[in-house]
Amino acid sequence: MKFPMDVGKDCARAWEIMPWTLQGSAPQAQDEWLTRHLVECESCRTEFAQQQRLRRAVALPPDIAVDADAGLRHLLARIDAPDIQETSPRSRTSWTMRALVAAVLVQALGIGVLGARLWSESQHPAYRTLSQPSLPAPQGAIHVVPDEAMKLADWNALLHSLRLRVVGGPNDVGAYTVVPAADTAAPDDTLRKLRAAHGIRLAEPVATAP
Amino acid sequence: MNDADIDADATDRMLLQRMSGGDRAALAVLYRSYHGRLVRFLSRLTRRADVIEEVINDCFWIAWQKASGFHGDSRVSTWIFGIAYRCGLKTLRQHGDEPVEDDGREDRMPSHDPGEDRELRDWLAKGLKHLSADQRVVVELVYGLGHTLEDVAVIMQCPVGTVKARLFHARVKLRNTLPALAGEPPLQKEKTP
Ligand SMILES: [Zn+2]
Repeated sequence: MKFPMDVGKDCARAWEIMPWTLQGSAPQAQDEWLTRHLVECESCRTEFAQQQRLRRAVALPPDIAVDADAGLRHLLARIDAPDIQETSPRSRTSWTMRALVAAVLVQALGIGVLGARLWSESQHPAYRTLSQPSLPAPQGAIHVVPDEAMKLADWNALLHSLRLRVVGGPNDVGAYTVVPAADTAAPDDTLRKLRAAHGIRLAEPVATAP
Repeated sequence: MNDADIDADATDRMLLQRMSGGDRAALAVLYRSYHGRLVRFLSRLTRRADVIEEVINDCFWIAWQKASGFHGDSRVSTWIFGIAYRCGLKTLRQHGDEPVEDDGREDRMPSHDPGEDRELRDWLAKGLKHLSADQRVVVELVYGLGHTLEDVAVIMQCPVGTVKARLFHARVKLRNTLPALAGEPPLQKEKTP
């Protein structure tokens, strides 16, 4: 038999319903109709028995041994591999990347000496660390390292509440350079609040003395 | 979807959400819970254990990166099998003419099947041999994993009509190649015009 539909309309309908009845996903009325048809149709009974057998056979556990523990170890090693392209899950980079883009935009728009200096500073990020304040930072500048898990919204809210502005960063250790608004009275107070803020790992004043 | 499916999907969603925050433990739980199903699913495309592991890890690598982009348009299982299917096809293409079908490199487990299971397995293997890769995938998704036509269409990224046609042709081929149950008369042959 090449074409199972040639045995009649009911048999064609029965043929179509079978897999879904076996799955338990066919509407009850269809199940009942199929049961009635099977009672009176030997051909469809045979087909249904074959379908049940097919389902049992396909549902047998796989006969190929693949070690889940080993596979998982390989996957985790791949995720944690020190390859920039492959180790940037969103949690670590998404908002930091956006903040970086914002900082670069600030720098690009900042006309004047400060902007130019920060721009040149950003060209050599690999040579700078927190302990090497290699260029004159603006008055009152603070290096801040937020936690990787800190949400962008929280970071923005914190900067806003302390009236701080990002003027650079992040550098290679994830530090941003922030400066207080011109009329901020107590820099020590700002520093203390930053250090106490949730999600801030480190806040250090930038040495501005010549 | 029955209640068990709904519960399983809720758990999967919770795990995906934790994964989007970088939680490796959640990834491990999801990985283990899908491993057996994915091995069997992919065993319909290749018989090589190393290729199957490669595809599963590509699949979870993508799931890890895209967990935050899952908005629940489908069940998590539909989403994961869709990724696995595409990774599987891609890997098979990359392996080009390397043997990935039944052959000497087949990584079969030493069989501890009781006689009936072994017989059933051999019976199925005889039939699947005659199907295209896409037809074998549809058979596994419908009969093995219990997906609906609509789910299979999402997984294989094709119209429901295409899934219906694949399922239809797979069944006709299986019917024509698989011996009927022992003791039953070969009805199909008698009715062949
Ligand atoms: Zn019938």
